[in-house]
Amino acid sequence: MPMGHTATAEAGSGGLTATEHRLANGLRVVLSEDHLTPVAAVCLWYDVGSRHEVRGRTGLAHLFEHLMFQGSKQVHGNGHFELVQGAGGSLNGTTSFERTNYFETMPTHQLELALWLEADRMGSLLAALDDESMENQRDVVKNERRQRYDNVPYGTAFEKLTALAYPEGHPYHHTPIGSMADLDAATLEDAREFFRTYYAPNNAVLSVVGDIDPAQTLAWIEKYFGSIPSHDGKPAPRDGSLPDVIGEQLREVVEEEVPARALMAAYRLPHDGTRECDAADLALTVLGGGESSRLHNRLVRRDRTAVAAGFGLLRLAGAPSLGWLDVKTSGGVEVPEIEAAVDEELARFAAEGPTPEEMERAQAQLEREWLDRLGTVAGRADELCRFAVLFGDPQLALTAVDRVLDITAEEVREAAAARLRPDNRAVLVYEPVGTEQSDSDEEEGADQ
Amino acid sequence: MTDAAASLTSMEFHPQPAPGTARPWAFPAPDRGTLENGLTVLTSHRPGQQVVAVELYLPAPLDAEPAGLDGVATIMARALSEGTDKHSAEEFAAELERCGATLDAHADHPGVRVSLEVPVSRLPKALGLLAEALIAPAFLDTEVERLVRNRLDEIPHETANPARRAAKQLSKELFPADSRMSRPRQGTEETVAAIDGAAVRAFFEAHVRPATATAVVVGDLTGVDLEKVLAETLGAWTGEPGEPLPMPPITADDTGRVVIVDRPGAVQTQLLIGRIGPDRHARVWPAQVLGTYCLGGTLTSRLDRVLREEKGYTYGVRAFGQVLRSDAGGNGAAMLAISGSVDTPNTGPALDDLWKVLRTLAAEGLTDAERETAVQNLVGVAPLKYETAASVAGTLADQVEQHLPDDFQAQLYARLAETGTVEATAAVVSAFPVDRLVTVLVGDAAQIAEPVRALGIGEVTVVTG
Repeated sequence: MPMGHTATAEAGSGGLTATEHRLANGLRVVLSEDHLTPVAAVCLWYDVGSRHEVRGRTGLAHLFEHLMFQGSKQVHGNGHFELVQGAGGSLNGTTSFERTNYFETMPTHQLELALWLEADRMGSLLAALDDESMENQRDVVKNERRQRYDNVPYGTAFEKLTALAYPEGHPYHHTPIGSMADLDAATLEDAREFFRTYYAPNNAVLSVVGDIDPAQTLAWIEKYFGSIPSHDGKPAPRDGSLPDVIGEQLREVVEEEVPARALMAAYRLPHDGTRECDAADLALTVLGGGESSRLHNRLVRRDRTAVAAGFGLLRLAGAPSLGWLDVKTSGGVEVPEIEAAVDEELARFAAEGPTPEEMERAQAQLEREWLDRLGTVAGRADELCRFAVLFGDPQLALTAVDRVLDITAEEVREAAAARLRPDNRAVLVYEPVGTEQSDSDEEEGADQ
Repeated sequence: MTDAAASLTSMEFHPQPAPGTARPWAFPAPDRGTLENGLTVLTSHRPGQQVVAVELYLPAPLDAEPAGLDGVATIMARALSEGTDKHSAEEFAAELERCGATLDAHADHPGVRVSLEVPVSRLPKALGLLAEALIAPAFLDTEVERLVRNRLDEIPHETANPARRAAKQLSKELFPADSRMSRPRQGTEETVAAIDGAAVRAFFEAHVRPATATAVVVGDLTGVDLEKVLAETLGAWTGEPGEPLPMPPITADDTGRVVIVDRPGAVQTQLLIGRIGPDRHARVWPAQVLGTYCLGGTLTSRLDRVLREEKGYTYGVRAFGQVLRSDAGGNGAAMLAISGSVDTPNTGPALDDLWKVLRTLAAEGLTDAERETAVQNLVGVAPLKYETAASVAGTLADQVEQHLPDDFQAQLYARLAETGTVEATAAVVSAFPVDRLVTVLVGDAAQIAEPVRALGIGEVTVVTG
């Protein structure tokens, strides 16, 4: 039964509202109206990601995501792409540790088509899935891996850091792209089984945002998705909990052909959805977000030892989040000099906390990032799904910025003191090898 | 909706739905005006867009850089946010971030673009900072020296990136050595090292002034007295009157040939295959856009249909046309190119297939169905593409920079819809003639040179990485 509750804007939601519904087969639906532009975003989150993969089958969730674009019962081969693009829409899918999402942004009058397409593959992918598409997309994904990770300087840094920060056997030890060996090993039957296990209406959240008539939209959703059978039997994901602090400094030195030395580190941080995670986000922003951050000012402006220095945050709900430090050194600067400066800045910050000006700047930056994300129908649809899937309440998306603005300077200091410590990080050091760092364009001769 | 529905064991299928009635949408027509100081201002109110985008175009083109100082426009652009008469570099960055603003500046062939994005509530403050950067930039020797060193540190990172390296090589191949376009936009190690504070100040004095500049402001401007805000900020910028410099003619050597930038051990080959062609002033532009989309706009276009979805050689190959520079007289040019990366062992077969796709296109032309899908996509995605203030501001500023009328984009959609299959075919075939393409391959020469040579797509040269 649809069970919409009233669409009254909560304080601080920027006037945005969302209603929630649930079909009899368990599909959760979130709708949000906005008639400013004649477009509508459809977003579907399946509660499955690389953390659900088993040993020997890393990369399967992502490879499977590609197979979702290879046709279903009523949609031939590349029909999904062709129909959406031919209707003036844009679309894609992505896979992360904790979820797989599929999205279409359509001109309003083509919304029904997107719903029909998503329903067709949710209900009938296996009718079209065959060896030919499996073999083809395996090659495509292996080339994706080469292009984005293997053939780029520092391209596998993130993979190495997560492997260090999350121990062997932990569901987040490997990244969604998977290994070449496992991609080679995946079989058509693996893909079929993956679909049967995880691609069910009761394991998904569908959001539709934009220039919509909610009653009509809900009727279409009921029509196309309502008869897709639900099924249980999804295994609980392996436990991702870990101690708050690693307890030692893990370290790996990579000797590779890279243009400069680099110091990278992954800090174990609080789970997404907590005040502590928002506090850590603010700490990382003060320390390493943007051009007025402490690390940028220290390493790039004053010491001039780095070409770039910053922190990023990977928010995770099912395991500790990850704070990612990335410093590329300047000229011949050695890593220990950088590391000492970083440690000094982190220790000072943990002792003193942010200044009021720093808090104001960090909150203003995060607020703008939220306005950007909620400023498009596609961004809003994705955030509504995120909060519904990971935290059980899509409404939290509309008030997320208020929670960030509610954090105090002392909470930020505490987060830094508790987590941004040398015994809570995995360090990755890049040392360049080879002497081919010259910028020479000298031709070696036309060998024809 | 009922309990019975939940117990169904199989899905009920429905025929593909027909579209509803399209709601009209048009690319926004900006308001155009001039401040007392001569600054041209374009504004567009976009309801709901709480983050306002400001794009500033300064016609300080790269070919105006003094000999031996390639990169001075880039360093000047970066130095604009490194302090003023009122704020040090660190203070200026801090003040901007206090507004929740981002400020990016970069130099390209037509000039310098400064992009400001800020929540509307702090627009006056952020515009004040932008104005300060233009009225009284500090350009301190020490800050310029730091930016120069930073830029020198960046160059090896760019060289290591296969896509950046390929782009640099293609420019070197296509354009005559004395053309600014043949050389890296942000300078080489030698030229950047020669830049100092005096050079930056001189370049600014010579080329940056309100009379030749344009500001584009887009966003939800409800309740903003923009006239007053602009008068108090960018309106306070003064400068001598002046005319933008004339654009030198653009020529390129597109003799079919292959250059391999050697990367021993590379697991993929980066492809960049290009030449130059007409810009947006040309009558053929809409047909070229349409035909190029059919060739390589998406994964269901001709190139990816074979190279990705049939053969699995690549994660994706795209064809595109990107304007390099234009003038009012229609003498500009666009880079027409095909780019992507393919796995090393399949480099020869992938290029062979790519050339087959081009030859088949020339021999048989596009189909009406392809043309129809392309029009539907290119025209249909406009309201999505221009949902944000930043995307609207970017296109409006591009139009100014390329000497196009403010309604160019709006008219383009009408012209695309009118373009037929025959015109689109002719345009794409003449944009990508098989014997007039310069191919740059960044990859393992020992693995790929022989197979590529065997294809007969032009003389093969190998250069070091």
